[in-house]
Amino acid sequence: MKEVTTGNHAVSYGAMLSRAQVIAAYPITPQTQIVELLSNFCATGKLKAKFLKVESEHSVMAASIGASLAGARAFTATSGQGLALMHEMIHWAANGRLPIVMADVNRSMAPGWSIWTDQNDSLSQRDTGWIQLYCESSQEVTDSIIQGFKIAEKVYLPVMVILDAFVLSHTSEVIDLPDIKLVDKYLPPFKARDMMDMKNPRAFGGLVTPDFNFELKYKIQEAMNQTIPVAKWADREFKRILGRSYGIIEAYKCEKADTILVTSGTITSTSRYVINQLHAQGKKNVGILKIRMFRPFPAKEVVAVLSKAKKVAVIDRNIGYGVGGIFCQEVKAAFGNEKKHPEFFNFITGIGGRDVTPKDIQGIIDYTETHKKPKEDIIWVGLRK
Amino acid sequence: MQSKIKVIPTTLKVKDLPPTAISMSNMLFNKTGSWRNYKPVYDEKLPPCNATCPSGEKIQGYLYLVKNNKFAEAWQLIKQDNPLPAVCGRVCFHPCEVECNRNDYDESVGIHNVERLIGDYGLRHNLRVKIGIKKKQQIAIIGGGPAGISAAYHLARMGYKPTIFEAERQLGGMLQYGIPSYRLPKNILQKEINSIIKMGVKVKTGMRVGKNLFIEELAKKYHAVLIATGAYKERNLDIPGEEARGVIGALDFLHEANLPRRQAGSGKKPTISKDVVIIGGGNAAMDAARSALRMGAHPKVIYRRTRNEMPAIPDEIRDTEEEKIDFIFLAAPVKVITKNNKTVALECIRMKLGSADSSGRRKPIPVKGSNFRIKTGTIIKAIGESPETSFIPASLLKDNLVCTDKWGMTAQNNIFAAGDAVTGPKTVVEAIGAGKRSAQAIDKYVRTGKVTHTEIPEVKPVRFEQLNTAYFEHAPRVSMPHLEFKQRVKSTKEVYLGYKPNEAITESDRCFSCGVCNFCDNCWVFCPDMAVIKKKNKYEFNYDYCKGCGICASECPHNVISLVEEKK
Amino acid sequence: MRNEIPLEENLNSGHLACPGCGGSLSMRLALKALGRKTYLVLTACCWSIIDGPFPYSAVKIPLMHTAFETAGSAASGIRAALDILGKKDITVMAWAGDGGTFDIGIQALSGAAERNEDFIYSCYDNEAYMNTGIQRSSGTPWGAWTTTTPESKGEQKKKIMEIMAAHRIPYAATLSPAYPEDFIRKYKKAKSIKGTKFMHILSPCPPGWKTSSEQSMKLSRMAVESGVFPLYEIENGTKYTLNNPTADFKIKPINEYISMQGRFRHLNKEQIKFMQENVTSEWQRLLRKLKYA
Repeated sequence: MKEVTTGNHAVSYGAMLSRAQVIAAYPITPQTQIVELLSNFCATGKLKAKFLKVESEHSVMAASIGASLAGARAFTATSGQGLALMHEMIHWAANGRLPIVMADVNRSMAPGWSIWTDQNDSLSQRDTGWIQLYCESSQEVTDSIIQGFKIAEKVYLPVMVILDAFVLSHTSEVIDLPDIKLVDKYLPPFKARDMMDMKNPRAFGGLVTPDFNFELKYKIQEAMNQTIPVAKWADREFKRILGRSYGIIEAYKCEKADTILVTSGTITSTSRYVINQLHAQGKKNVGILKIRMFRPFPAKEVVAVLSKAKKVAVIDRNIGYGVGGIFCQEVKAAFGNEKKHPEFFNFITGIGGRDVTPKDIQGIIDYTETHKKPKEDIIWVGLRK
Repeated sequence: MQSKIKVIPTTLKVKDLPPTAISMSNMLFNKTGSWRNYKPVYDEKLPPCNATCPSGEKIQGYLYLVKNNKFAEAWQLIKQDNPLPAVCGRVCFHPCEVECNRNDYDESVGIHNVERLIGDYGLRHNLRVKIGIKKKQQIAIIGGGPAGISAAYHLARMGYKPTIFEAERQLGGMLQYGIPSYRLPKNILQKEINSIIKMGVKVKTGMRVGKNLFIEELAKKYHAVLIATGAYKERNLDIPGEEARGVIGALDFLHEANLPRRQAGSGKKPTISKDVVIIGGGNAAMDAARSALRMGAHPKVIYRRTRNEMPAIPDEIRDTEEEKIDFIFLAAPVKVITKNNKTVALECIRMKLGSADSSGRRKPIPVKGSNFRIKTGTIIKAIGESPETSFIPASLLKDNLVCTDKWGMTAQNNIFAAGDAVTGPKTVVEAIGAGKRSAQAIDKYVRTGKVTHTEIPEVKPVRFEQLNTAYFEHAPRVSMPHLEFKQRVKSTKEVYLGYKPNEAITESDRCFSCGVCNFCDNCWVFCPDMAVIKKKNKYEFNYDYCKGCGICASECPHNVISLVEEKK
Repeated sequence: MRNEIPLEENLNSGHLACPGCGGSLSMRLALKALGRKTYLVLTACCWSIIDGPFPYSAVKIPLMHTAFETAGSAASGIRAALDILGKKDITVMAWAGDGGTFDIGIQALSGAAERNEDFIYSCYDNEAYMNTGIQRSSGTPWGAWTTTTPESKGEQKKKIMEIMAAHRIPYAATLSPAYPEDFIRKYKKAKSIKGTKFMHILSPCPPGWKTSSEQSMKLSRMAVESGVFPLYEIENGTKYTLNNPTADFKIKPINEYISMQGRFRHLNKEQIKFMQENVTSEWQRLLRKLKYA
């Protein structure tokens, strides 16, 4: 069924189609529409879920953890400050190995107050043990929520589905809303692990001494290692049942590319537009590597695509202060032990919700093609110097 | 997973661990008993009531049974020590109630009232005590008063068939002839005596020592002899005119007053004047005054000290006062005024109290020139009794009392003695206790030829301060229903009417159970470590886990739990 | 015999509470009243340790350890899950200390209470951060020594019951382990009521109060009898019922209660008098609410 929808509502549809059972929510711009629509779904009976209107994002995640532990499929959404407030519980969810799915609408961190996009909020959570999927379109958002549960409930790690504020969250486009029967086929009801059985009751999350903690933390990494094949499988299954697939990364028109742009989120769509034009003009030596899954970082897959290129332009809508773009660091690190690697250019742009236009992307391509090596560690795009 | 000890090794490999911190076992492996510095132990102690009861009744025990509506069991328990609970429940001076720790809280437990109900219950339900294996040895008991009956009863329980030789027509001694029926109805006494006789006790009445019965002969014929002849020789006033008509002894008066008409020697009740005067401040004086009242007189009691020094038990004094009997304190008789050898008045002298004498009471000193006269036709002497020992071999006597060791054995091995004959005039319950002890000694003697003396270390009874009174509610003593004054003077009906079972239960529930566990559950319920195991009839400590916090000991209301330092 | 105390034990021996811990006895009694079909939520507090380290647990029911400030929210999530899964017969009990309730957890508690979430919230109040080594909380009484009030706490204890009453939750009660029948009755009552139930338990702490372990129940009792911690219930935030065992609405002087505790040792006569005045006026205030005054 075709539906005109915003990115935010695409999230709501994804959660509804996934038959989330407990949704704890707290309003925050630009995420609010997500939970508004979900609350409506619950009120009208479209979704049989408990909708908890809790009093903070910290409580949102605590309630989601409780719900997931007690056996319910838990979903929530947040943004920027809210995600930061959750941080303690973000760790709890992952360390507790709870398959919660949460949408994060990227929002720049205060002060000063901002409601506009950049990725620093979600990337601040990159080492918590959450799987992160960055989306470029409303369709991908809906599908990623559904896939997110599939992956989470397989590896017992929480999944964060990330979309850009306003650029995606508040813009409308036509999406194909999956048939819920097919979604049910793809995503069977959640069966909680035997953690909280009344007949064989156990304690969750007690004090762990150094005798055991190392091993338990290792197990999170082990699960992360499993996540890459599981996510690929989940994507294949999605294709088989629901007819669409995204991959954990996507190499777009890279067949003859000696320069590859590394993108995430809506910048990917903008870049596709530019690349499509260049290819139409016969200029086929530029391609795109879209990183959809940032955690776990698909280093092998990234290296396989990028090692064919001479130059790699990593476009970061975020900054690791004191280092540079966070995607760029990860991409470079993926090549750490490789004998050969392309020249890396780190472009930082769109911070704080500044628009990233096709002109900006063209500028990035031009800079990369005209320079043998980057002149600076960080190449600022759109910055008024 | 919850009830078994299972230790998870710290060497577990990654693959054997759960995905996150989910428990795999319980904490039972952790034997917290090793933390303990002090160890609680159940350490039952002696309640003051039991400690003080001359017949050694387990008072706390039967109160507990009554509280739980177990009257028959209570009767069986009391009968282990006392053959006459229905009697003692009425006439005992109950020192147990004086020692009762509840006195320090509100009022003592009405032990004798409960005891009376238990005794009556046994009589009404015709309860029997268990009798031991039959024993052949023959035992003679001289005197069928409380000491003799008690000895006979205890010997009968052990399987002997003792013979009581009694001078009077009926058993009971002072109980039969000294205590008025408004205090102890004759049928109660008789029933309790009968139940003892049914246990195999032979009784020969009309057998008076020195007349038709001789101790030395009995000592040859029987394996053992018990002298329990009591003390019924009246003391004299030693004043001029004492021999006049109208001056009588209290025991003689009570004896006659107590006899049913057809049995009395003279065929009728003793005659007394309306203005009868009783001299003395003891129980016999009270009984004589109250009996005289019931015969239509207006008795006056003359006592040489004050009310505070009266030797009669307080309840008796109170009852006498309630019956509006006049007391003249601080006065002593000096002369009986006679006319034609008939008493017409008593001349007295005022006294004042001096310093304390050997009895601890202040000594009365005559006030010179304070003589006064009381008009009276009858004077009842109630200034004490002493044993009649003229028929007892001198070798067994000392200071006009039969001399024994503490087990009751006299200088002659197979002759024992107990009761007032040994101690001088004492109480019913002391005689009963002495009877019990001598029965035990006689049993040992006839079986082994000697009485072994095992020293029982003195145990200090539990004091009020040792109890945790937080768990006791203030509750007034259940009052004993009784006849009003008007009903009392008209008849010799029993004054006190007895508890109903529910009243006895309520009263028994007031018992603090000093030093004895009464399954209040405090130790169990307050243990933070589940280290007190509640069993059917007891509690046990699980020392594997008891951390020795001591809450159980401090919350035990009864001072049953003691803390002992752990040796490490 | 205390026939009203269930025989069932839902807590195992071997737990790590200090000897004489009021909090462990309170848990034992609460679990006796609630039974096996109970889901326990523990925030950071002494009980995080008492229950035992991974891979062990001392309780015989499912237990979720959660972050310090999340008793109200985590319990809400569990309740929601159990409801949606049709497991309505399971009671959810959140269990937190005074720090987790009066201080860091009050937001989540208030949120849950305002939503009238269907669970029991138990605060075992030992009147300081005992697990971290005796630091003052807003539940610490005036005058108490703690490691962060090395002279004396200068502020009054927060009136948590009034805060909860202001939420108009269906049931709030004060409890003392020294009165086990009352304790059990209140938990059973709480279990039977739908909505948020708040249980405030005064829980003696021998190391934190500087008392000897065997006196924990005596202290509990004296706190109740002296009106320092009266026993009462509040229904729907407005209907007060007094359960204090003291007769005729009288309270005993606080002196013995205070003098038994090392944490109050430094107080002089005037200061104790000041404390007494406070206790008396709070008691009077409570009586006025009961409409008995």
